[in-house]
Amino acid sequence: MSNLARRPSLILMALIAIVLAACGPTAAPAPTSAPPTQPPTGAANTLVYAADISDLISLDPAVLYEFSGVLIAHNVYETLVRFEGADLSTLKPGLAERWDIQEVGDTWEITFHLRQGVKFASGNPLTADDVVYSFQRVIALNKSPAFLFTDIAQLKPENIKAADPSTVVITLPKTASPQGFLSILTFTVGGIVDSKEVKAHESGGDYGSGWLLDHSAGSGPYVIDHWTKETEVLLTANPNYGGPKPALAQVLIKHIPEATNQQFALEKGDVDIARNLGPEQIEALKGKSGVTTTTGDSLLLIYVGMNVTVKPLDNVQVREALRTAVDYDGIIQQLLKGNAKKVQTIIPAGLAGHNPDAPFQQDIEKAKALLKEAGQEGGFTLELLVPTGSAPGGVTWADLAAKLQSDWAKIGVTVNIVQTAQAELLNVYRAQKGQLVLILWGPDFPDPDANVGPFTDYEAKSIAWRNAWQDAISKKAREAALMADPAQRNAAYKEITDYVLHNGPYIVLYQPTELFGLRDNVKGFAWNPMGWTDFAAISK
Amino acid sequence: MGHFVSFLLRRLIGLVAVLAGVSVITFFISHVIPADPAAAALGDHAREEQIAAFRREYGLDRPLVEQYLIYINGLLHGDLGKSIRTRRPVIDDLRDFFPATFELSLAALLVSLCIGIPAGVWSALGRNRWPDHVVRVFSLIGGSLPIFWLGLLLIGLLYYRLGWLPGGGRIDQFIPPPRFITGLYVVDSLLSGDTAALKSSLHHLLLPAFTLGYFSTAIIARITRSSLLEVLHQDYIRTAYAKGLRARVVLIRHALRNALIPTLTIVGITFGSLLSGAVLTETIFSWPGLGRYATFSAISLDFPAVMGVTLLAALIYTLANTAVDLLYHLLDPRIRYG
Repeated sequence: MSNLARRPSLILMALIAIVLAACGPTAAPAPTSAPPTQPPTGAANTLVYAADISDLISLDPAVLYEFSGVLIAHNVYETLVRFEGADLSTLKPGLAERWDIQEVGDTWEITFHLRQGVKFASGNPLTADDVVYSFQRVIALNKSPAFLFTDIAQLKPENIKAADPSTVVITLPKTASPQGFLSILTFTVGGIVDSKEVKAHESGGDYGSGWLLDHSAGSGPYVIDHWTKETEVLLTANPNYGGPKPALAQVLIKHIPEATNQQFALEKGDVDIARNLGPEQIEALKGKSGVTTTTGDSLLLIYVGMNVTVKPLDNVQVREALRTAVDYDGIIQQLLKGNAKKVQTIIPAGLAGHNPDAPFQQDIEKAKALLKEAGQEGGFTLELLVPTGSAPGGVTWADLAAKLQSDWAKIGVTVNIVQTAQAELLNVYRAQKGQLVLILWGPDFPDPDANVGPFTDYEAKSIAWRNAWQDAISKKAREAALMADPAQRNAAYKEITDYVLHNGPYIVLYQPTELFGLRDNVKGFAWNPMGWTDFAAISK
Repeated sequence: MGHFVSFLLRRLIGLVAVLAGVSVITFFISHVIPADPAAAALGDHAREEQIAAFRREYGLDRPLVEQYLIYINGLLHGDLGKSIRTRRPVIDDLRDFFPATFELSLAALLVSLCIGIPAGVWSALGRNRWPDHVVRVFSLIGGSLPIFWLGLLLIGLLYYRLGWLPGGGRIDQFIPPPRFITGLYVVDSLLSGDTAALKSSLHHLLLPAFTLGYFSTAIIARITRSSLLEVLHQDYIRTAYAKGLRARVVLIRHALRNALIPTLTIVGITFGSLLSGAVLTETIFSWPGLGRYATFSAISLDFPAVMGVTLLAALIYTLANTAVDLLYHLLDPRIRYG
């Protein structure tokens, strides 16, 4: 034992060696996970987009149903029809240059005429066969978004046909909404994959979903270069893209889970766009040189569900009293620092059929009078079920619940807040065991029926069912869903939303706004309320 | 040698027993809590029949004991099951996320040894004088500062204000990561002679390693200090001085060597907690590690993933403590493998 001063480092090295050896098998290279191929080539032609991408599970358009996946797939795959910008009420041509809807017997027959000369990133031409394969693939895989096809649109694989190489005919039963189906097709589940490329990568009947998990086979402006989990996704420009060439050759979606860190990286110029900033970060960015902030719409609604089997919530006047006692402006201006729209009907702003009426603002006297009429002037006690964590818009669920509690206390209604993880809360809510439940809803596809159906139809076993609310309005809602004429449909939705506003078991609190930080040289950024942005339109 | 072999053998049996125990406890706890992983996985919009199908797919509709036996049978065949949240084999997820956390924990351990031991010695030698006060204040802060706050503070200062160090990630976004050999970027870039990657990954490792290691640095400094003080009062130290040995030799060869035994015990324990406690550091520093994976798995009631992480953590913990036992003997040959 000569120089024992060196012993600690020797010990450490021995420790490292032992543990390393012990963990050898675990740390061994995975044969299936390919290493990232190429990093971005340089900052000047790369858009760096900071976001929390922990939710990313797959990049396959038939499988993904997460925010980050939707953002990426929309830039990689094209759809037959699309919505442009923040307008989710006017359909525009996509891969289909035109389409028509016909009533044939007891079915809807929708014919899509494809644009000529479209190529996939591989160079393969895009034909009607690719469309048929893509849609049948969604149904066969039966993953998270498949219900949009199979349940909402009642689409059967045999009813998707190629009439000729540039014409696709899809038949839906009369009980499905053709407008709703077209809206679904604008979403990532309607993304068209390169059938030749995907078939070449099929393995064990998986329709190539193992490969499409982190590869792409689309015709959109970008292709997926690599996805390193919990680190980054790199998109590079698709050389065979038929539209205008993207201004930036690469998009690096960089995983930065912490909002403050996104703010720092933006200010330092290490990222161009920061996705997950809260009101504090936006406040901190104000007046700083080199950065700007902007907002985008979301389609979420934050609401309180009232279980009508719980007394006295069965009384429509009691429900109206609770709605009347809430200080909506205070929630939006003070708690959310203005990061929300005052929406009180069940279709969010941005969707067709949105009803902008927002008649409620705290009126304690009126609320008390309503309670008196209902014979409840003595007040009552209820339980308010609240999720843990943050609500969209930049406030914790707990703070929001405390605000409601104090508002209702003013009319003699005592509310006991019970906070629980969202998954557990949903269990209680689903089982019709909630009393008052504070929660959110976002439509599954950009169509009014994606909200009106769940909020009104008891039989759908969704929101109306959870609040045990059975009402004849659901019949009108089902009729509205099936209307093919947009104007007639909007009029029907106006009537329905007006009715639910005062008779339904809901208190819609607000529609949150999305907050973004940008470097001041970033141009062309626009947020689509369905949760994505068109990277190809952005320059810097 | 015979002692050594029987020691290892006993440890191996112990390891199996620990893993078996951990598997039982984690499995039953994660299955009896009153929450439904199907509802968690399928979200707000799922319908009853989808939930039923999900429960069938993951075997959640079977009796609990049968579920456990199916799990153990898979485990014995090297199958940790499929994650509910990521829908991939748990083993693949662990393979992706473990190396980053392991690298971070090793670096944090290195930081805490390199700072903690000298600080403890310095503090003991300068007992109740200013070096001691400095180290005690440093340890007190380390023991009480929330990691999240410390990490943001360091990023705010060294990245945001001064721009000396990167603000997160394992490597610069414009530098390709080294070829996968061990999954530890520093080791892999050394092995493949990739100096750009080596420089960048070391650079990226500094702040998170310090943040994660600060707490254990404080503990190691405190333990080293107190055990060195105790040893310095022992008879054999007085004897050594009386023999006329130089103070440096007495300190290093006689005192520190014995004083490090308790420190080593702490190292074994803290290494396990470094691995499992990395989640906050990983979040602040955008570090793609197992801590965040474990947290998300727990939140989404992803029990196969929770089981996988727990078993791996138990394995590492046991191995680290076995390594510590081996090292005891190196420090003090009187300690038998027992």
